[in-house]
Amino acid sequence: MKKLLIVDDAAFMRLTIRNMLLKYEIEIIGEAANGAIGVEMYKELRPDVVTMDITMPEMTGIEALKAIKAFDPQAKVIMVSAMGQEGMVKEAIISGAKTFIVKPFKEEFLYQTISKVLGI
Amino acid sequence: MSNQYVNEPMLDLFIFESMQLIEQMELLIIANEKSSSYASEAINEIFRIMHTIKGSSAMMLFNTISTLAHSMEDLFFVLREDKPQNVDYSELSDLVLEGLDFIKLEIAKIRNGDEADGDASELIKSLRVFHATIKGQKSSAHDQNLSDGTDSSESCPPEKQQYYISKVRRTEITSLRNTFQATLRFDQDCGMENLRAFGVVNDLGDLAEEYYHIPEDLDHEDSVRVISEQGFTLFLKTDRSLEEIHRVLIQTFSLKDLQLIQVENSDLFNDLHKERIISLEDSAVKIPTPSGREQVANEQQEKEIQSSATQQSIISVSVAKLDQLMDLVGEMVIAEAMVTQNPDLKGLELNNFQKAARQLRKITSELQDTVMSVRMVPLAGTFQKMNRTLRDMCKKLNKEVQLQLIGQETEVDKNIIEHISDPLMHLIRNSIDHGIEMPSERETKGKPRLGTITLEAKNAGGDVLIIIRDDGEGFNKDRILAKAREKGLIQVPENGITDKEIYNLVLLPGFSTNENVTEFSGRGVGMDVVVKNIEAVGGVITADSVPGKGTTITLKIPLTLAIIDGMNIKVGDSRYTIPTTAIKESFRPKIADVIVDPDNNEMMMVRGQCFSILRLHDIYHVKTDVTEFTDGIIIMVEQDDKTLCIFADELIGQQQVVVKALPTYIRNTKKVRGLAGCTLLGDGSISLILDIAGLIGFRQSA
Repeated sequence: MKKLLIVDDAAFMRLTIRNMLLKYEIEIIGEAANGAIGVEMYKELRPDVVTMDITMPEMTGIEALKAIKAFDPQAKVIMVSAMGQEGMVKEAIISGAKTFIVKPFKEEFLYQTISKVLGI
Repeated sequence: MSNQYVNEPMLDLFIFESMQLIEQMELLIIANEKSSSYASEAINEIFRIMHTIKGSSAMMLFNTISTLAHSMEDLFFVLREDKPQNVDYSELSDLVLEGLDFIKLEIAKIRNGDEADGDASELIKSLRVFHATIKGQKSSAHDQNLSDGTDSSESCPPEKQQYYISKVRRTEITSLRNTFQATLRFDQDCGMENLRAFGVVNDLGDLAEEYYHIPEDLDHEDSVRVISEQGFTLFLKTDRSLEEIHRVLIQTFSLKDLQLIQVENSDLFNDLHKERIISLEDSAVKIPTPSGREQVANEQQEKEIQSSATQQSIISVSVAKLDQLMDLVGEMVIAEAMVTQNPDLKGLELNNFQKAARQLRKITSELQDTVMSVRMVPLAGTFQKMNRTLRDMCKKLNKEVQLQLIGQETEVDKNIIEHISDPLMHLIRNSIDHGIEMPSERETKGKPRLGTITLEAKNAGGDVLIIIRDDGEGFNKDRILAKAREKGLIQVPENGITDKEIYNLVLLPGFSTNENVTEFSGRGVGMDVVVKNIEAVGGVITADSVPGKGTTITLKIPLTLAIIDGMNIKVGDSRYTIPTTAIKESFRPKIADVIVDPDNNEMMMVRGQCFSILRLHDIYHVKTDVTEFTDGIIIMVEQDDKTLCIFADELIGQQQVVVKALPTYIRNTKKVRGLAGCTLLGDGSISLILDIAGLIGFRQSA
């Protein structure tokens, strides 16, 4: 079972992602409420893939992405973005994000993206 | 009403989180509005809140909320990035608060299972106009043109950027063996197609030496449309094979379709990209240099991780579950009493049993305390909400009032909080509307222009006192009396009425002194509702006033509703319970201390003071053998500075009792006075819980 870490400051979004993936063979091993915790949890839990919100308090998704990539260049991070964040998304791609999804997204799209990132 | 929709936990969480964020944002706005501009952290925070709400509501397909939140997000983006001067912050606050009200209303509809069908187009229009004004000031300096609000708030300024990428270790074009043309189409609705294309280019990275693509400018607004309609076409020169390039491109996310062909004629390529060689470094997105900000972030990081980590260990539980838990604990308290005070045990010497029973009682009471503490919520949230009421009122009525909050950390039961929010709001409105004078009037009276309303909470025994104090003009006694007379609210002779009693007339249903019904208060139904709400949670409300100096309204509210410490007493075959907090003392009376006045009212002299006696068997028509004072017992109780002596047969003992409401069929058929509820005793019998305030009223009116 592949392990996913969700990093998002909105509990609603974390629950949404969790619910969307319920029926798939993906284990959500952690939820972080900001970038800083996300990085810590990444180091500790070593998930196979991360969904990363961009706008978060304490440490933004971009900063967290960079920190995770610095720690593990192989890290697979999917950015969760929204309309109006094109500039950030671009920065994330340059910084090594695997890909990104745009809110609002559908369940199938989320799963397809994750499975593709994981190569399953 | 679609119930399965309402009960969905995701929706619940959406509502809960959004409301929390909105409240947080309201406070931020109100706190910042007073100063001439918003603090930069506040702008950041508001931006983030709107961003979160935008995203969440879009996920739930509440598009109106999402669009509105987006407009506000854009506005604060401009404030954050451009720091425009001369922004009308008062107008901004009005606009944004109006927007929040709209979202709140929509969320309320959603919560009730209704369609969120509000129309925010006017609001969005005003937000855009405002956006344009602040942006307009900026544009003279930076020559940026405003796009129609759908513009990307976080994207880089639309400077022309070419994504023709050439690598640092550039080799001569002619030395490259292969030229490929790739056309990629992305899944419909995958979003930000231009950036997906950018990702493709980025992924190719080292594999290709030279690129050229159509559309050329991936930052251009049109690029999204072009790519989704015509696909993304990429020319590249590389010494890799077609298979290798294919392998990379096919990895592209959200890829619907890929065409990759080798182009023989490299002239096409050369023509296209002539003179457009810009190094990757130059063309890359402007990444905000993480300077001091990141350092600070790093320093704080550790601390924040800790604080956030503790946040993580908090879970939210539905109140219904807590209610259930409380009920269960209540049942357990009864069950414990039933076991330890079982009639079968009477007269038995059971040392070990007593020991075990004591242990059980200890644990039960700890459990009960814990469950109750879980249900306790600080008043801070409710108090903070009043800031908004205050702001709106002051703005509408042109008054200047500040709100002082004292004792916000005082905790009360969750159920009680829900019952006092509306009354508080109404009382605050009353104070501003009727109490606090206009600033000019205050100045002529020698008061500070700025009026003050103090909202104070404190613990007092088993109760919480909430005091609303204003420094306005106070009640007008004559007006109150005249009004009360007119409405026929005075039953006692007027010459015997004290000032305090006059002031408390305003709490009677259907009383309103202000002839001018304003938008906010003075409809006369308000006070009625306030009193009803407070009484519903077993609270008492009193009013006091000093003419010219101000008014004080005090709400006395029990800490918790469910379980009280009670003294069980016996009258004939009936059992009654008196809340221990109300009992001053109990004693066997001497007949010499009893006085009877000409109206046949019985009084008890205690240490030189006289108190009325209430015979419980008399008022509840209970048959008992104990009618002589010397045979029974007097329990002296006090509430609201009024004292009463209750005459009963005997004391049974002290016990924690679970308060149950009187069954509705009893309440509906007859208005029983002086009873707060009933409870189950250890031996299985039912005891009636006395409402001391009610009994005192009983004695007075009798």
